[in-house]
Amino acid sequence: AAVRFAGGMAEAPDERPQGPAAEEQLQQQRVPCQVFSERQAQGKPQQGFLSSFFSNNQKCQLMLLKTLQTNPYVKLLLDAMKHSGCAVNRERHFSCEDCSGNVSGGFDASTSQIVLCQNNISNQAHMNRVVTHELIHAFDHCRAHVNWFTNVKHLACSEVRAANLSGDCSLINEIFRLHFGLKQHHQTCVRDRAILSILAVRNVSREVAQKAVDEVFESCFNDHEPFGRIPHNKTYARYAHRDFQNRD
Amino acid sequence: MADGGGWRPPRPCEAYRAEWKLCRSAGHFLHHYYVHGERPTCEQWRRDLMSCRDWEERRSADAQRSLCESERARVQAAQKHALVWTPRQSPPTDWHLPLLQEEKDE
Repeated sequence: AAVRFAGGMAEAPDERPQGPAAEEQLQQQRVPCQVFSERQAQGKPQQGFLSSFFSNNQKCQLMLLKTLQTNPYVKLLLDAMKHSGCAVNRERHFSCEDCSGNVSGGFDASTSQIVLCQNNISNQAHMNRVVTHELIHAFDHCRAHVNWFTNVKHLACSEVRAANLSGDCSLINEIFRLHFGLKQHHQTCVRDRAILSILAVRNVSREVAQKAVDEVFESCFNDHEPFGRIPHNKTYARYAHRDFQNRD
Repeated sequence: MADGGGWRPPRPCEAYRAEWKLCRSAGHFLHHYYVHGERPTCEQWRRDLMSCRDWEERRSADAQRSLCESERARVQAAQKHALVWTPRQSPPTDWHLPLLQEEKDE
């Protein structure tokens, strides 16, 4: 059976702030059920790349290691997952691979693996954000019965949470995307990015995606687990981690 | 959180001070307005900090009660949204299983 991703980051890397063009690109290549079909054919993608220095795969592995060891968002999520019985093992639960299109990563619920698109993640900050985003999906998978493939509202909820809590919709990132807005713009961004992510991994219409996001938004936007708050930057994430460690 | 016997505040007083300071910062004002479209309210953190100090100095029962109620309210506020999905009683059984490809290769 074809491997399909439960959730994905449907965005262009930060240094190419294409704004509306990025969305256009995603819509033009809208074959979400086949986005990751090349995963099966690749087998173990690391073979053949290790012969050259600074290959995309090596860069991806190195950036991932740094993220796992130092980023406060990720460290909190790793702790929370361990607490929920899903301890994360880098070699088992992460895979750096080439992906088609502009997608940065995805969570594969059928193999319990986070895929990082090594050809689309070019800097450490982006890696931090992708790993955070996908770990939020993994965390949801671990703590709840999420019907990734059969219930678009479940998918929408996890995408709302991931866009809300990973820093995807920070003011700075939105400015880089040439999306200017201040008052409550964060919520607009979360809605829009959740819809884009759904469209990237499911063969549904924009109307269906939008309706699902609208129906779950109130609940899922206010579900801040495991952070307990919206972590606007690393300071908030560190405070949240401290609170998580003390919550008992 | 019963009587004052072995009880201590839910957070160290320094944590309440740090949260109050963060809440009042210009950066937080900006973030809060960006998310909620209104200014933040930081009064509860200030009250909690005062209660915490009160407890440390005088072991005040009022301070203990106030802190407990405040934390309870925070927990309730975080849980008041209706869940979209059913929580699990145990983690997914296949989370730690080896990948099928790896098994084939071995």
